[in-house]
Amino acid sequence: MPLAAYLLVSLVLFVLGGLGLMIRRNPLVLLMCVELMWNGANLAFVALGRGLEAMSAHVFAFVVITVAAAEVAIGLAILVLVFRGKARQDVDEVNLLGERG
Amino acid sequence: MAVTGMNFTLLLPELILVATGILLVLLDLFTEQKRVLVYAGLAGVLASLLALIPGFGTTASIWADMIQVDSLAGFFKIVFLAVTALALLVSLEYVERRQIQAGEFYALLIFATVGMFLMASSLNLLVIYLGLELVAIASYALVGLLKQDGRSVEASIKYLLVSSATSAVFLFGISLVYGTTGSLALPQIAQALAAGAASQPVLFAGMLFLLAGLAFKVAAFPFHMWAPDTYEGSPTPISAFLITGAEAAGFAALLRVFLVGLPGLADAWTTIFAALSVLTMTYGNVTAISQTKIKRLMAYSAIAQAGYVLVGLAVATGQGTAAMLYYLLVYAFMTVGAFAVIILVANSGAGEEISDFRGLSQRSPFFAWALVIYFLSLIGIPPTAGFFGKLNLFSAAIAADMTWLAVVMVINSVISAPYYFKVIRTMFLEEAAEAEPVRAPASLTWATAITLVVTILLGLVPDQVYSWVRLVAGAL
Repeated sequence: MPLAAYLLVSLVLFVLGGLGLMIRRNPLVLLMCVELMWNGANLAFVALGRGLEAMSAHVFAFVVITVAAAEVAIGLAILVLVFRGKARQDVDEVNLLGERG
Repeated sequence: MAVTGMNFTLLLPELILVATGILLVLLDLFTEQKRVLVYAGLAGVLASLLALIPGFGTTASIWADMIQVDSLAGFFKIVFLAVTALALLVSLEYVERRQIQAGEFYALLIFATVGMFLMASSLNLLVIYLGLELVAIASYALVGLLKQDGRSVEASIKYLLVSSATSAVFLFGISLVYGTTGSLALPQIAQALAAGAASQPVLFAGMLFLLAGLAFKVAAFPFHMWAPDTYEGSPTPISAFLITGAEAAGFAALLRVFLVGLPGLADAWTTIFAALSVLTMTYGNVTAISQTKIKRLMAYSAIAQAGYVLVGLAVATGQGTAAMLYYLLVYAFMTVGAFAVIILVANSGAGEEISDFRGLSQRSPFFAWALVIYFLSLIGIPPTAGFFGKLNLFSAAIAADMTWLAVVMVINSVISAPYYFKVIRTMFLEEAAEAEPVRAPASLTWATAITLVVTILLGLVPDQVYSWVRLVAGAL
């Protein structure tokens, strides 16, 4: 398969994640959408690394996976706090802050 | 592989900070006196500052070209250490009163500082990205550390979702730039660009992604929507730390990526930065006028100030860079100072509404006058430091034939005056409900005194500092 195909898939993943971020309301699903965006970028790295025959892209992909794991760990911890306060399943209900005060 | 690049002496400031962070976590287990942690943290910051001295004036690329030690990195490290030290000082009372877990709080603060160091001291996109994430992940936790307060948790989840989405955008931008230039090192990217080997449309898209990702970090309009909520909900010392430190780190990364890595596309990005700058300062100032909460007011003020700083990138000259650096330095001190006063009022039992500042001039004249000076500096009235900061940006814009941008800046300064004066009027002309004096802890008095002296000093003798900053900007 040509490089362009992989890049297209990575772009589709990235855009799907971005779209999900805009239309879904459950914070857990939002977190998953963000992960999809990250993995879109990651796939692009690995594909480009193969295409350019350079190892630096593969290293980058590993680093990104590690960072994403850390990010999810803390994201889930914060989600637990959000849900513990009130069983809120919808980010639109997380609205203590804002202009209305 | 050879390990010749491993230079521990030049990496010492970062190593000391990491050690301090770990030490704070351990120390927290063994002591009930949480004040010790602040003193240990301050000692670590001071040691890191001293460790900067051997690397001063040298330009070196160490650790397989991953870390760049130069005067720009040195300048930003000094700013970050100053912000961290001040944040530790203003946190002391706040952490005790709100019963925040002290060990985690101070250790994360130090680790976030290490992330800022990495953002400012690398010419490699991988390390810049890692630094950015280190700051971000530490900040998510810091913002949400008031676990009983729903607002803090909400600020944290909002910050997390927006910030990680923008990290993904930044990451995708890196992959596009990497794909077209074949390198993650900014100097090589610039070379590939100059050689014209890169296919332009994809690279251009990558540049836009990088720009958007970093614009989120400095809260530029239209990428600002997380900022007011995050800064309002987070613990107040953390608001101060993020507004000054994390934002300065964002600008450091912007300077590196665009001036070192992508000068070949300067025609495009200067126009974008000019537009962002105008939108950001106007939006920030206009929205700030109607705010009734002091932290939201400061958040919008921070957005407006980021707009002023962006002028330096819009002109893309050495003079512009120098003006940016000077403004970031001044901004760090005057903003942390203003937050010290906000923390004082909040600690005294009043809330964080502007109306809670009623009669502060009688309850605590020193802090009331200090806030007046910070605000005059934020507006840009001489002889405060903020005036010279704005003047430098202003002359940089005129020197680069962007007089219209300078005019917009001046108009914005005028728009910004009423909302700062509203707070000053509340402090001096309205009576307090209770007239008893505010008890000021020594830590807050120290933080206020230091920031006050710097704000006035940088206004009275700006030339020496500015000539140093010019030198730093010239080395980029």
